Amino acid sequence: MTPEAMTPEAMTAKAAMSDPLPASARRSHTPPESPLEAEGRRLGFLMALPTQLLLVFIVVFPLLMQLYISLTAWTPLYGQNWTQAWQSWNWFENYAEVMQDGRFWSALWRTFLVIIVCVPAQFLLGLGLAILFVENFPGKRVFYSVLLTPMMVVPAVAGYMFFMLFQSGGPINGILSDLTGLNVTTAWLSDPSLALAAVMIADIWQWTPLMFLILLAGLIGVPEDQLKAATLLGASWWQRFRTIMLPRIRTVIVIALVIRTVEIFKIFDNLYIMTGGGPGVSTETISVYIYKVTLQNLEWSYVATVALIILVSLSVVTAFGLKLMDRR
Amino acid sequence: MASITLSGLTKTFGTFTAVKSLDLHIADKEFLALLGPSGCGKSTTMNIIAGMEQPSAGTVRFDDRDMLNVPMGRRGVGFVFQNYAIFTHMSVYDNIAYGLRMRGLPKAEIDARVRQVAELLGLTPFLKQKSAGLSVNILQRLAIGRSAAVNPQIFLLDEPLSNVDAAFRAVMRTELKHLQREFGQTMIYVTHDQLEAMTMADRIAVMDRGVLQQVGSPIEVYNNPVNTFVARFLGSPSMNLLPARLGTEDGRPVVEVTGLGRVAAPASARGSADVLFGIRPEDLTITATDLPGAFVMEVVFVERVGPRTIVHLARDGQELKAIEGNGFPVAIGDRLGVVAKPESVRLFDAATGQALDKEPADG
Repeated sequence: MTPEAMTPEAMTAKAAMSDPLPASARRSHTPPESPLEAEGRRLGFLMALPTQLLLVFIVVFPLLMQLYISLTAWTPLYGQNWTQAWQSWNWFENYAEVMQDGRFWSALWRTFLVIIVCVPAQFLLGLGLAILFVENFPGKRVFYSVLLTPMMVVPAVAGYMFFMLFQSGGPINGILSDLTGLNVTTAWLSDPSLALAAVMIADIWQWTPLMFLILLAGLIGVPEDQLKAATLLGASWWQRFRTIMLPRIRTVIVIALVIRTVEIFKIFDNLYIMTGGGPGVSTETISVYIYKVTLQNLEWSYVATVALIILVSLSVVTAFGLKLMDRR
Repeated sequence: MASITLSGLTKTFGTFTAVKSLDLHIADKEFLALLGPSGCGKSTTMNIIAGMEQPSAGTVRFDDRDMLNVPMGRRGVGFVFQNYAIFTHMSVYDNIAYGLRMRGLPKAEIDARVRQVAELLGLTPFLKQKSAGLSVNILQRLAIGRSAAVNPQIFLLDEPLSNVDAAFRAVMRTELKHLQREFGQTMIYVTHDQLEAMTMADRIAVMDRGVLQQVGSPIEVYNNPVNTFVARFLGSPSMNLLPARLGTEDGRPVVEVTGLGRVAAPASARGSADVLFGIRPEDLTITATDLPGAFVMEVVFVERVGPRTIVHLARDGQELKAIEGNGFPVAIGDRLGVVAKPESVRLFDAATGQALDKEPADG
């Protein structure tokens, strides 16, 4: 497997670097270009060059470095520069180890669990709100601003906010106590079976607005004449939604789902502040896992392997989403 | 099948009155053209009939049924939008079947009806195609077919030909008129194009600034406009209107057209007043300058538009347009005589613009 060939970043970089090549190939069987055209091409190449060089340094180089390190057993603890990593070359041992790593797999599974719960929840809530906001109603602008606020909050701050809210003597238990009449003292964040739920609630709170915003943009784009025409043909609201609105915002839906899926895959800051991946490893998602292995265990070559595997998996998810979009 | 009765229909948007106490009856199976410049209230009227907007006052009745409380989907109104509003993400078949499916009809029945409508409109070869990217004439037929499939009692068409190029418009006009006969529905056709209204409609209702100006058959409205607005709006080029004075000569009414000469006035005209002398360009004949009663004028411009020659004449700031046949021998700078057919002369009150021999229009 040559994973770097499949990542979009690598593909972009490759395309950028080899850009002048197909042009020179084309030149052989098209009429000879005028000096002006040749000059224009040269100028274009020169102007694009800085960006291409930058791409080489920030995408291709780290990627190759990562691939290189992932094939060794190198860690900074050896006291050697990473360029010396070949001295501990161990082929695919790291990859084999990842496959056997129970903690990796459960982190991956936990991440999927968060995705499976949060993405549909954010989608349905966002869609519902977007539908409400397509129509005009008094106070719409105020509600709109309020609704978008969570998205603007720095995730770390949101994490701290929910950390406080979910304390056993915190406001959430307070509200639950008032509602149920019982004295609720659930320790949300230190209960292994509830901590992940708390993290999910925080994520849904923060990122439903984004889903709402994207879907609203899609719904506003549905031609009003078509909706009127459908109404005149006797379609109920639900029928209009199913036959006109939904097919028309399909692309937007796919984009929104892909964005949130990829983002939740990388969930870290608010989660780390709320639970630190704990109690134990009960909220350890893939990013938290990588973070811990990197900075606590300093197993850098192993981390490089994990990160590469994640990059490839995410690229596949994204490609799948884009393919769904193309099919329309 | 249904007749439409609008009474006292008024629609205001804030301080703007789009439609002002409109009374109009459209007979069953009639083809009525609602004609007027943009912003005259014709589209608002249409939207109220369809139920897309609620009137500020007045009633809408189909036959004897009050329609104001009937939601737009249940009025039995077929609506063809200006841009056709075709469901471009569906096939032609699905577009036609849409209304039938919304009614939950059995599949076989839907299929039969879709094929019947498609056959009638020549859409059969396109049924399986996606409707995005079809040509404008197919889209228009599809828009009509989609509405026709559910058998509406009333068809409303909102400037359906305004997106079509001029050459094709003539074809579509004929086709539309043919389709109306085919379906036999009551049809209201909104347009700002007087030619469309004249060629297709049984009756024309002319609106201006929210007020109905005149209703009548195309010929009636063309020949006997109730005011200068209607006179100017219909006909191309429009009616010549020149300042004049109504007087009498030997006991007969005559019009003294300022700076040009005298013409016998219609017998019904009497009194003495400032008027506007109206004559259609085609009712002017170009003659020799020495013919008694002829206005002597100079040719300032000649438009040769195929079958007709439009001659622009002027004298002392008064201008007239006359229509002659193809190849009429005339050149800029010629001095000519112009004679108006006395029976075609129309007089309007210079102050109010109302026709002198007509009752003032409603409103």
